[in-house]
Amino acid sequence: MDPITLISIIKGGLILGALYALMATGLSLVWTTLGIFNFAHGAFIALGAYVAWQFSSADALGWPMLPAVLLTCAVMFLVGVILHFLLVKPFERRSDVVLIAVITTLAGSTILENGLLLIWGPRSKQIEPLTRGEVDLAGLHLTTAEILLLVLVLAILLGIGMFLRYSRPGRSMRAVSQNREAAQLLGLDVPKLYAIAFGLSALTAGLAGIFLGTIRFMHPAMGSEPLMKALVVVIFGGVARFSSPIYAAFIIGLLEAFSTYIFGVYWAPAVLFVTMIVVLLVKPEGLFGKYQRTL
Amino acid sequence: MLDVRDLSGGYEPVQIFQHVDLQVSAAESIGIFGPNGHGKTTLLRTLSGLIDPWQGDIFFDGERMNREGRRGSRKWRNFNYDAVTRRRMDPKKVARAGLIHVQQGNLLFPELTVTETLSIAVSAASGRRGWSVAEVQQLFPRVAERRDHKIRFLSGGERQMVSIAAGLIAAPRMLILDEPTLGLSPKIRQELCGAILEIRKTGLPIILIDQDVAFLEQIIDTLYLFDHGRISGRMSRDEMPDHETLMVMLFGERH
Repeated sequence: MDPITLISIIKGGLILGALYALMATGLSLVWTTLGIFNFAHGAFIALGAYVAWQFSSADALGWPMLPAVLLTCAVMFLVGVILHFLLVKPFERRSDVVLIAVITTLAGSTILENGLLLIWGPRSKQIEPLTRGEVDLAGLHLTTAEILLLVLVLAILLGIGMFLRYSRPGRSMRAVSQNREAAQLLGLDVPKLYAIAFGLSALTAGLAGIFLGTIRFMHPAMGSEPLMKALVVVIFGGVARFSSPIYAAFIIGLLEAFSTYIFGVYWAPAVLFVTMIVVLLVKPEGLFGKYQRTL
Repeated sequence: MLDVRDLSGGYEPVQIFQHVDLQVSAAESIGIFGPNGHGKTTLLRTLSGLIDPWQGDIFFDGERMNREGRRGSRKWRNFNYDAVTRRRMDPKKVARAGLIHVQQGNLLFPELTVTETLSIAVSAASGRRGWSVAEVQQLFPRVAERRDHKIRFLSGGERQMVSIAAGLIAAPRMLILDEPTLGLSPKIRQELCGAILEIRKTGLPIILIDQDVAFLEQIIDTLYLFDHGRISGRMSRDEMPDHETLMVMLFGERH
């Protein structure tokens, strides 16, 4: 393997990792606060991509990219809040909420995906890349869009991390995730914080969808495969800290890039799952996990 | 100030306490004394809205805390309780009205630091006037000392102090303390009792559960005896007998 190939594999792995990190963060945000896995996360990814396409594409509204992205974020946050209200909230206090939420969010995901098919049709679409420049670094070919993606994803993750650490609603969200009763007794508005968490998670999914829509073709089920990977990432990394799924995402991304090069596209998922199973055998709480569910 | 009328409740399907009447005026502190496992904590959890009352009413400062009506019939309970019927109490409403419950053995937020925890209490108070962080740190020097530690690294006594401190910041107009000195070493216990006495001196009414009659005597004006899920006796501080006599009253000669 010559160095150029090696570096371009690493580059591919990092970009995959960044996307997985964004999705896994949204997923783990809901998992740690509400205690459920949101299987509609993949559909959120697709929805975000389609909404952004609707705003930005020359075939549709044709707005410039920045307002299109911001508006998409707002729409996704709202969708998240509404779907939380419909799919999760009625079952929130039941002890078997985890199982019920699997079914309701799966149902929500199917409805959303078919809704996308109904509205935008089956023809593949693509969002215009954010920029069109190219850079050659010592033989390594990079587009500015790729660099921008990496930088933006890291900035977004940093932003979410800061929000959870330093802002009042963020801190309160962590408190609720660690001890719901104690938070209630202090007078925190737990249902509102849950809704914010779900909305925020949908927002990150929407952003992931926009990035994904610029590098691949969009179709209504485009979120299901990345959702699978994000699930693997969350389980693989554990959710002990905000950052642990992020590290895990980059490890998984690199692993996938290398195994795709070495074993081929068909075997790459198998390699991923074998790795995950081995890690879970040794550390059931994930690579960076501790025995607890917190943020 | 707190007016509890004919309150019954428990954890479905087991009833834990029944027909509790409790009146606490604004200047008064009360104690609840009774054996373990007879429903004191469940009663307090119902007062603060963590579990729904089965029947009866809770008024705080003239305002009704629960929805009117009784719990649903057996048939209704087979449906999704939260989707079909509405909860009859909202802990947020109770806490924002100023009835703050400091739980027994409160684990608080294990991964947050003491400072973060107190700041959450500040935002929970959302403008209503409670104690300031500086004031609670003065009351509990240990809390100030440990301000940058995560809650899970604190000892039981320190955690209890942070718990009470957070409760004080959350703008209480009446404070519920559920066995604050449970399982603490004598020295820490003394420190905590002193602090609770200080809190009492500010005029904040307290509902205190404790097993130590001598400590109760310092804090409270009225003592309620509680066993088998009912209030079985009420006495003012002057009528309070010593620990031994109380035990005889609750359990008979041989206990």
